[in-house]
Amino acid sequence: MRRVWVVVLKEWREALKGGKLLWVGTVALPVILLGISVYMMLSVGDLSALEDEDLKMVLHTLFSVFLLYFMLFPMIIPNAISVYAIMSEKEQKSLEPLLATPLQTWELFLAKVLSAVIPAVVITWATFGVFVLIVGQMLPAGLWEIVWRDFGIAALVTLVLFAPLASVFVTMTSMAIATRTSDARSAQLLSSFVVLPIALWALVSIYQNALLQPANLVGVSLLLLGLNIVLLKIAVRLFRREEILTRWR
Amino acid sequence: MATCAILAEELSRRFDGRLAVDRLSLAVYEGEVFGFLGPNGAGKTTTVRMLAGLIAPTSGRALIAGVDVVAEPQRVRSLVGVLTESPGLYEKLSVWQNLQFYADLYGLAPSTPQIERYLRLFDLWERRFDPVSALSKGMKQKLALARSLLHDPKVLFLDEPTAGLDPEAAKTVRDLIAALSQERRTIFLCTHNLHEAEQLCDRIGLIKQRLLKVGTPHQLKRELYGHQIVVDLKKPLESLDSQLNLPFVKGLRVEQTRLVIELENPQEQNPLLVRRLVELGAEIQFVREADRSLEDVYLQLVREESL
Ligand SMILES: Nc1ncnc2c1ncn2[C@@H]1O[C@H](COP(=O)(O)OP(=O)(O)OP(=O)(O)O)[C@@H](O)[C@H]1O
Ligand SMILES: [Mg+2]
Repeated sequence: MRRVWVVVLKEWREALKGGKLLWVGTVALPVILLGISVYMMLSVGDLSALEDEDLKMVLHTLFSVFLLYFMLFPMIIPNAISVYAIMSEKEQKSLEPLLATPLQTWELFLAKVLSAVIPAVVITWATFGVFVLIVGQMLPAGLWEIVWRDFGIAALVTLVLFAPLASVFVTMTSMAIATRTSDARSAQLLSSFVVLPIALWALVSIYQNALLQPANLVGVSLLLLGLNIVLLKIAVRLFRREEILTRWR
Repeated sequence: MATCAILAEELSRRFDGRLAVDRLSLAVYEGEVFGFLGPNGAGKTTTVRMLAGLIAPTSGRALIAGVDVVAEPQRVRSLVGVLTESPGLYEKLSVWQNLQFYADLYGLAPSTPQIERYLRLFDLWERRFDPVSALSKGMKQKLALARSLLHDPKVLFLDEPTAGLDPEAAKTVRDLIAALSQERRTIFLCTHNLHEAEQLCDRIGLIKQRLLKVGTPHQLKRELYGHQIVVDLKKPLESLDSQLNLPFVKGLRVEQTRLVIELENPQEQNPLLVRRLVELGAEIQFVREADRSLEDVYLQLVREESL
């Protein structure tokens, strides 16, 4: 596990010198996301005029969508980063000396996944924090308590458990595919237009069904954890050192 | 008996049906500098990759310091240092960060003196905070070499370490290789530089898919050209070809005052040859064994192989 962190830190050092792509992911996307959510809040209009039952429904619909938003977020950000992480090793031909060290395949793989997923999750949390602050100011007094009562736990489980695990799942899948494709461009296309949509669709439908029962959400998350471990094993099998060394030139 | 640092038995590797390395059997002893020569595509890099636990052989086996490369590739990789064909450095990271990353990967102490030691040795100390992308080709090569040495490997694989270096840097690298072998490290050196191989290597292997020949540089030359002698005359002799008339002379080439003569057994036949030449009126200045460069040996063997 030590070597995993060594590689993760290296990835981040490289990314910090990376320029534009990094700023798009870390600054532009959160701002857009926040903008859209706040705009949705505004367009609902005056909530205090609604009756109790209607109010409840509107709030539920609204916050389900918001949570879904924040759940999807950490899955989408790593997509660009993770394929790039493998592509840059390929371009610099740095994979061969790296594979010549005692670093094991699963360590390398996990490091690549984590180095993309961790920042995405952290950015999501930060964005969510800002979102809560803004919406807290916008909601009429008393409503925030209702929202917190109905959604608090679900939001917590989503952000801490489900979203990170889902993000690992999606990222790992596209990276496993990236290692099997001989060129980075088709890997990128495949993961953006095939893997990501399918995974998102599956995860969204699972999530929507589990959303309002935090216990279900925890269950689904644990299932996802198990799935991730299996997936890591499969990915390591698919990641043939040999092909990477000999085909990627 | 000396211990085997590298032992290969019938090692083969196929790529999509094409044989890259064919039943290579080889023993390299501890502390030896072993030169690996062969034309482009001969299978040198493929052999290094197999021996360093990077790719698996199609068949056969190999041991590095007694550890099986197929059964325990990870242990092999921690024992060996590899200088790969292309430096493969992280261009955006600094010189220092590149080495620190590998030091961390090998689990060296955070304050390891190794990084500074090699940076100073290779004249990169002043450039340690520069991004690698700002270095020249030769500097990158030296940095990659430093990287392969950080963890003090007992067995070192160097794939063309002096390719692209200026004469001075190449000499630094050669001196370093000599110094490393003094420390009883085993060095497996792939090179196209025959002069370098002759200078540095205790033994040399010639490969072209199969291992064609192994021996000390001296043995190789001796084996192929040991039967040739050179006679220097004071002035040219007329129509020597027709007059020499000795049954044991297998070949004769006249280059003005120089005769290159091939004999079956020089020790026995030299005196007879000299007497005959004197009878023919030759004024002999020198008689010596033909001094062939390794290059001649190399070219001859590689050509024979492609016939
Ligand atoms: N991944 C691969 N797929 C197919 N063929 C390969 C692969 N890697 C190497 N080969 C083939 O194996 C043979 C040996 O290649 P190798 O790189 O080992 O040669 P080399 O001796 O290192 O050559 P050079 O002096 O040019 O570095 C070549 O014919 C090469 O085309
Ligand atoms: Mg080569």
